[in-house]
Amino acid sequence: MQCDVRKEAAFDVVTLKGEVDLSTSPAVRQAILASLEAGAPVAIELGEVTYIDSSGVASLVEGYQTAKSRGLPFTLVGASESVMGVLELARLDKVFPLAATLGELTADGG
Amino acid sequence: MKAGDDHGREASLRVLADELRDPLGLLADVSQAFATSLDLDETLENTVAQISHYMHAEAASLFLLENDDSELVCKASAGPVDVVGLRLEADQGIVGKSVASGQVQFIRDVGEDPDFAGFVDATTGFETRSVLCAPLLLRGHCLGAMEVLNKGEGDGLFDASDRHLLQVLASSAALVIRNARRAVELVEQERIRKELELAREIQATLLPGRGNPADPIVGVNIPAREVSGDFYDYYRLADGRMAFSLGDVSGKGMNAALLMAKTSSLLHCLGKGITRPSELLAQVNREVCESVTRGMFVTLVAGIYDPAHDEVCLANAGHQPPMLLDVAGAMTELPATAPPLGILGEVEFPEQRVRLEGRRLYLFTDGVTEAPGPSGGDLGVEGLRAELAAHGALPARERLERVVAELAAREALRRDDITLMVIESPGETAHRYTFEARAENLEGLRVYVDGVLRTMTCAERLRDQLVLAVNEACMNIIQHGYGGDTRDAITLQILNNDGILEFRVEDSAQRVDAARIKPRDLTDIRPGGLGTHFIREIMDEVDYRVPEHGTGNLLVMRKRLSNHEVARDAV
Repeated sequence: MQCDVRKEAAFDVVTLKGEVDLSTSPAVRQAILASLEAGAPVAIELGEVTYIDSSGVASLVEGYQTAKSRGLPFTLVGASESVMGVLELARLDKVFPLAATLGELTADGG
Repeated sequence: MKAGDDHGREASLRVLADELRDPLGLLADVSQAFATSLDLDETLENTVAQISHYMHAEAASLFLLENDDSELVCKASAGPVDVVGLRLEADQGIVGKSVASGQVQFIRDVGEDPDFAGFVDATTGFETRSVLCAPLLLRGHCLGAMEVLNKGEGDGLFDASDRHLLQVLASSAALVIRNARRAVELVEQERIRKELELAREIQATLLPGRGNPADPIVGVNIPAREVSGDFYDYYRLADGRMAFSLGDVSGKGMNAALLMAKTSSLLHCLGKGITRPSELLAQVNREVCESVTRGMFVTLVAGIYDPAHDEVCLANAGHQPPMLLDVAGAMTELPATAPPLGILGEVEFPEQRVRLEGRRLYLFTDGVTEAPGPSGGDLGVEGLRAELAAHGALPARERLERVVAELAAREALRRDDITLMVIESPGETAHRYTFEARAENLEGLRVYVDGVLRTMTCAERLRDQLVLAVNEACMNIIQHGYGGDTRDAITLQILNNDGILEFRVEDSAQRVDAARIKPRDLTDIRPGGLGTHFIREIMDEVDYRVPEHGTGNLLVMRKRLSNHEVARDAV
């Protein structure tokens, strides 16, 4: 799994690639929380995530709740089919703010 | 041999001997003429006749040691009285003295010798005046002795040159005898070898063939000798059930093989009509008792496997306990409930019933457990269990052949027959995966599950979900069962029973209280607790159990592969 963070517009963009599971989700969690603690709005790019399990989803949920409590935007971008499948199973597909592309998000001026 | 032949041979020998005044000529003749003969008696007779004739003896005889060198038996004689078959104690008379001392005995005038037995004369009427007797020595080992009596020319008494000649001829005769004996032994060995080979071929036809790979029963057998005392058999009954038997006849060799042939034939024949193992064994036992040689017996397990109910019903007559192995390699033994066959005519053979439920039932003979183990000493039941568990992921036949090959490789000279059989549910395709309970190993687990599911008709979306569910189950075990990464194992088994997939996940962690494992309330949005929800959402049935061996946890998850899923996969 790959987890990279970069600045784009106002956002900290966290790009995840590969498989997010119990062995890799702690790094994801840490990256997300670090950006939020620094006060940055966070966008998580999930287009190249091939697998995510409940521990990965839990990291996203924790990030979402932390962002909410701090009043920061938190958006999942371009979630792959496999990610969406798991979010649907968890009934979280209606909970997370979703964007198809990062451009869509930055154009909104968020 | 006909008298006419005798006269003919004597005449020709006389001519030959007349021509060969040189003793070396006779020596060469004795050695060469008969060294290639395969008939020892004929060789001896010719040798004695020739020597007797050459030495102008009135009579000659040759005695060989028999019965562990305790007796001297006359094997050939020439002269007026036929003493062939005469038996002497090994140290009796002049012949005995010659054999005992390894020296030529020369009694120029018998009347003056106290050692002379005298009884030959009394019973045959032959009057012995002069005796010369030489031991048949070969490399210090004495085979017997050759005696000539009464010289037929001059004063009728042998002299020193005769003594020397007989000594030389006796040595040559010893060589001829040894060669002829060896030739006879070789011919006999070859005959026995061919007979055993034939017996083995016949016996092999009594064992089932390789069978159908889909059969729930598989067996392998390697005989230690050309013929085997072990047997096994299985065949399908008209109603779809499978009859099986596996046994071991006491003792080795041809007797054991014949009793094996009889017992397995009875079982095969009667087993088609009598499908209650208790009745079948009682009947076969009565038959075996009627004819069995005293002291021989048969240990045996026979039974029926019913694939429709996944149930084995068997009876065990004094045989090693069959071994029931579960997914995690834990063992339950089914001990004998009756004595072996062939000991008591009227015995009851109580039946045992067991449902396989994904477990495998192994039957084997003591040739397996008494074979050398990997670290010396006997393999033993525990060693066999470990070997079978180690190869648990292989299909049944490959698994048995691998284990047997490993046993054979450790035992250059196999002491005993090796026979091993397994009965397992037909739906079981032996998909089994064991790994250390560590987060880093989950990826390998997912690859494995995905690979197994790809061999089945399973839609891609469902496949992803099933991989997720199994991953979640194992993740829960790592996080909550073992409390983090550990070297302890998790074992997954995937079964496909007629379109119902069964995932069995077993661990050795502290017992989990199933009542406390609840999916989280999804309206409460928080991290954690999702895994159990995923499992329940994806699977049709989820069942937390205690494994058969009593420790750890067994999670059984089932999912029906619906037509809908299959159809969607095909589109």
